[in-house]
Amino acid sequence: MAKRLSGLQRDVLQMYRLCVREAHKKPLASRPNFLRYIRTEFVKYRDIPRKDFSTIEHLLRVGHRRLETFASPEVKDIH
Amino acid sequence: MLSNILRGSAMALRTTSMRTALRPSGASPALWSSLRLYSSSLNNDDIRCRVIDVVKAFDKTTASAQINADTHFAKDLGLDSLDTVELLVAIEEEFDVEIPDKVADEIKSVSQAVDYIASNPEAN
Repeated sequence: MAKRLSGLQRDVLQMYRLCVREAHKKPLASRPNFLRYIRTEFVKYRDIPRKDFSTIEHLLRVGHRRLETFASPEVKDIH
Repeated sequence: MLSNILRGSAMALRTTSMRTALRPSGASPALWSSLRLYSSSLNNDDIRCRVIDVVKAFDKTTASAQINADTHFAKDLGLDSLDTVELLVAIEEEFDVEIPDKVADEIKSVSQAVDYIASNPEAN
């Protein structure tokens, strides 16, 4: 944990932060659902080797696009 | 022609002096921030209590852990990096600020969070 994070690792954490902030804009009742969803999506790829840049970069791009979709105010809940 | 130029430069002078008057940050950032700090009503003990409350309310923390100013998120509470991010967003909400990414990556304990909030003039 005390290890310094690589640039890409920091990008991932930033992405996670953006997602969590966005989740906090959702209605209180559905917020835990969003947080759980975000969490599972990130944990799914936890075991990707940190040197696998192309996969991680691809996932980041996909994630940003999905974040945009879910950030829209019409999206009020998630399962 | 000459008077035009003169007037132009006088205008420029006036606008620059106005700008420096409006934003006294350039020369003395330390003074500026301490001034703003002074005007905020938060004191360190308050901040510490509120941060600790947020940490306690965070449901992923190890329940038995004693939380004080020196509590380290990863070592003492067993939080991973994603949990830490969530916790920091919760603290952001509590104080109505947005912690920039660079700073947030460095915050790993209660005392560091308290220090940051204390140094942020917009926290309330």
